[in-house]
Amino acid sequence: MAEPSSKDPAAAWQDLVAQWERNLNALANRTMGSDEFSRSINQVISLSAGMHSSLGEVMGRYLASLNLPSRAEMTGIAERLQAIEERLDRIHALLQRSASVAEPDAAPTSTKPPRTKRPPG
Amino acid sequence: MTATGEIDSLGPRIRAEVERAIQRNIKGLEYFTSPAPVLGATPKDVLYKRGTLNLYHYQPLSDEVYRVPLLMVMATTNRGYIFDLAPGQSLVEFLLKQGYDVYLIDWSPPRPDEKHLRLEDYTLEFIPDCVRRVREDSGEEQVTILGYCMGGVLSVIYAALHPDAPLKNLICFTTPIDWTHMGLFTKWAHRDFFDVDRLVDALGNVPSELIFTSFEMLRPATRSAGQIKLWENMWNDEFVKSHRMFERWSTDTLPLAGEYFRQIIKELMWRNGLFKNELTLGGKRADLGNIRAPVLHAVAEHDHIVPYDAAKPLVERVGSIDKQELILKGGHVSVVAGGNAVKRMWPKLDAWLGERSI
Repeated sequence: MAEPSSKDPAAAWQDLVAQWERNLNALANRTMGSDEFSRSINQVISLSAGMHSSLGEVMGRYLASLNLPSRAEMTGIAERLQAIEERLDRIHALLQRSASVAEPDAAPTSTKPPRTKRPPG
Repeated sequence: MTATGEIDSLGPRIRAEVERAIQRNIKGLEYFTSPAPVLGATPKDVLYKRGTLNLYHYQPLSDEVYRVPLLMVMATTNRGYIFDLAPGQSLVEFLLKQGYDVYLIDWSPPRPDEKHLRLEDYTLEFIPDCVRRVREDSGEEQVTILGYCMGGVLSVIYAALHPDAPLKNLICFTTPIDWTHMGLFTKWAHRDFFDVDRLVDALGNVPSELIFTSFEMLRPATRSAGQIKLWENMWNDEFVKSHRMFERWSTDTLPLAGEYFRQIIKELMWRNGLFKNELTLGGKRADLGNIRAPVLHAVAEHDHIVPYDAAKPLVERVGSIDKQELILKGGHVSVVAGGNAVKRMWPKLDAWLGERSI
């Protein structure tokens, strides 16, 4: 016969933790669902974003004075690299298609299973 | 039970608890010194990479496969290895063994120069391009698409914008359609309080820490309760292994491309454009009625991230005749991974998809 959970201290503790979790989440959701909370948290986010932006500008000017590239300049270099990579991808794809046209009887690089599967029953 | 019986049963219980307490200390030390679990290890090949976009093709695990390939689209907020946690707990492994030819769109953190990516890039460029590559690689005309959460939103938008797409089936997991029912997210991102322009203009890409914190705030006590449960069950290797896997995935959030995030807030959250069939991208209107392929939508009864009211309109509004909603017990993640998914969702998914993949 199963032991009643109220007489098992381990199960009682687990119930307590689960109840605490549920109650605290419910309380937090009620608090965080208020207009005041939404307004406050977004003010914090806006302030943080503003500070981040200002810091970025200050760092940019500092780096320029040291004749070092800024984040924006590095981003620009990354964009150009990305464009070069995409162009190389297109060239690679063209070369692969040309190779398969030139050697239509070449063995496939990997054996794929047949597409003959049907559901059971 | 008599008092004597209670005393007799107390001895073994105390012994078990003492043994567990000893194991907790031993294994607790091992927990901190052992390496992180290896996740997403099912062998796959890179079919295509482009910035934040990665297209993978999993190596087959069966002697024959279904005709129609399956393209999974991961949410842009998290890593795709939730589909492939570990042997025996991998949806990808399950599907491969059942005979599906599986591809995956997974996302890397968008680079700073990708802050200009928009919903148009994801739904008019990335997904169509991947569909084309899957068709070329598989040699098949039609593709089944399966999207999870925001991956489902992108898949639905793609399908709604392309009524002539080579779409054999559309499967969605916990996909929000009516964004007025997104609970606290709707509240926090309300246009009266949330200055999305200031955030995106200042930061470019939205940091992963902000995404992670917003998820955590939905259930602030759960992480602490999880740590307590972990300590209690430190003696249980299976529990600890499972905890580590899910803990690792849940903290591994991704940043979001700035313009993409701005559009999600303005077009989906504020204007509820997808639900109202008013979302316009690339000059085309995303009309859910344009979706006529068979649709399966798996939703979670206790989903605290995508509440049921936000997800249920999908099946109601698509133009498909063959459509089904699957309501499963559990939460947002347990629909896809974990014991509940293995026992309930996966077999139902296989039963539905198998007969529609020939």
